[in-house]
Amino acid sequence: MKRKGLGFYLRIYGKILAQDLKSKMSYRADFIISTIGMIFTNIAGFASFWILFRNFPSINGWNYYEILFLYGFSLISLTPVQCLLDNNWSLRSYVYLGDFIKYCFRPINLFFYYQSEVFDIKGLGQLAFGIGTLIYSWIKLGLGFTPLMLLKVIVFLITASLIMMALQNAAAATCFWIHNSFYLLDMTLKFKDYAKYPVTIFSPVFRFIFTFIMPIAFIAYYPSLVILRPDEVPLLSWLSPLFGCVFFWLSYKLWMFGAMKYSGTGS
Amino acid sequence: MKLKKYLSLTRAGIIESLQFRLATVIMVIGNLLYLIVVYFLWKSIYASAETDVVNGMTFTDTLIYLVLATALFNFMEMYTVWEMGRNIQSGKIVLDLLKPMEYRRYLFWSYSGSFVTQFFFTFLPTFIVVSVVTHGAVPLGINLLFFAVSVVLAVLINYSIDFIVGTICLYTESIWGINIMKQVIVLLLSGATVPIAFFPEPLKTVVYYLPFQSIYNAPLTLLLNGSPTPETVFEILGTQLLWCIGMTLLGKLFWKLSLRQITVNGG
Repeated sequence: MKRKGLGFYLRIYGKILAQDLKSKMSYRADFIISTIGMIFTNIAGFASFWILFRNFPSINGWNYYEILFLYGFSLISLTPVQCLLDNNWSLRSYVYLGDFIKYCFRPINLFFYYQSEVFDIKGLGQLAFGIGTLIYSWIKLGLGFTPLMLLKVIVFLITASLIMMALQNAAAATCFWIHNSFYLLDMTLKFKDYAKYPVTIFSPVFRFIFTFIMPIAFIAYYPSLVILRPDEVPLLSWLSPLFGCVFFWLSYKLWMFGAMKYSGTGS
Repeated sequence: MKLKKYLSLTRAGIIESLQFRLATVIMVIGNLLYLIVVYFLWKSIYASAETDVVNGMTFTDTLIYLVLATALFNFMEMYTVWEMGRNIQSGKIVLDLLKPMEYRRYLFWSYSGSFVTQFFFTFLPTFIVVSVVTHGAVPLGINLLFFAVSVVLAVLINYSIDFIVGTICLYTESIWGINIMKQVIVLLLSGATVPIAFFPEPLKTVVYYLPFQSIYNAPLTLLLNGSPTPETVFEILGTQLLWCIGMTLLGKLFWKLSLRQITVNGG
């Protein structure tokens, strides 16, 4: 079979996206409420920092605005996973009920086809909030602005997104082997909340775990160091784009491996 | 016997949740990991404060408070809104309405089995670990009794709020958005994210007049207070009882009015 090019996939994605948006538009109330819900979540995150920093001057040497920077950074890097890979949440029931088999018979990449079916628009509200938070903290910290910094931020945001996608893919893929994988996905979701704190608060053992095994430290901490602490950037920060690609590739392989193994329910 | 029909639902629930053994294991591990994260986070937060006691709470107090709040959350979370929303969307609700039991009661009792399993698998292990880690900082005495009573009331209040929110789904046909809004509001304003003692003044007063603090803050305050005066106990439990009655009545009334709204696709 001829390998399909990127252009081909982009065109298909556009078509599926348009259909998905059309069907979403018929539930307009749901869309509005979900967007408000999303903003609520972000405001609550903001509020808990605000309350915290009214009582404590800093967390492990990181002040209010630096922590907000991490928070904004992590919100932005969560957007792709929210928008593009939201169908991972339904994977469990597709596999369980046997509907997943329909995806296996299309002449396009299985992973791509499955994920392209759902585009979650409410993630865009989060993106806006994240960018707002990032800019606010950027100004308050007086970081200045150069094109190089912007480039760095963009590269590291992509890195962080890759890591987050990898985590979610891997957690979702477990449903090919175990039945009730909802708890694993839910757990990953909860732990990504802790990506917004500097990893240095943990003891070395957990620092290792959160760097290499459950790499949430790459979602905000290591990339942010490049901007926030330019004098003491560890090697891991510079390596994080590489880690992002590797982790994503591994999770993709795991996902595909599970999908290829899938034999349907027989109905 | 009237109670018997309810208890058979409880029994079925216990058996059902024991089916998913792996999920339980994952949940216990997730809970312990979460405990560790909270421990390190607040340890470093307290390390940056000049004093050991902030707003009348020591590090140990805060740790116990937050960890047990999460354990309580896992214990109390009944996914009522999801359940109701899904049943409304799929039309299954019609079958439940035909059952010879009030829908509100049916839903509660059919979930009650999970209370039993969750108590033994999540709450009790967490409680023991916290007691050991903090070297017995949790006072063990009459306060345990008050705590138990308070938790029962909290479960009822939480369920009533969930049921009211679930009823809203009848109108909106949106589940995710409604649920996330509820969750965020409840978790923040009940003190489960940041203890209410840390809230700045005007906000604290407002929060005490809302029903949410009765869910997590009330039982935990009673638990952490080794030698409470009769007045405090009376005040906290009384407030809870009032909210419990109020929310239950409100939920019943709202449900009764909304039931006319239901439109289910035939078939």
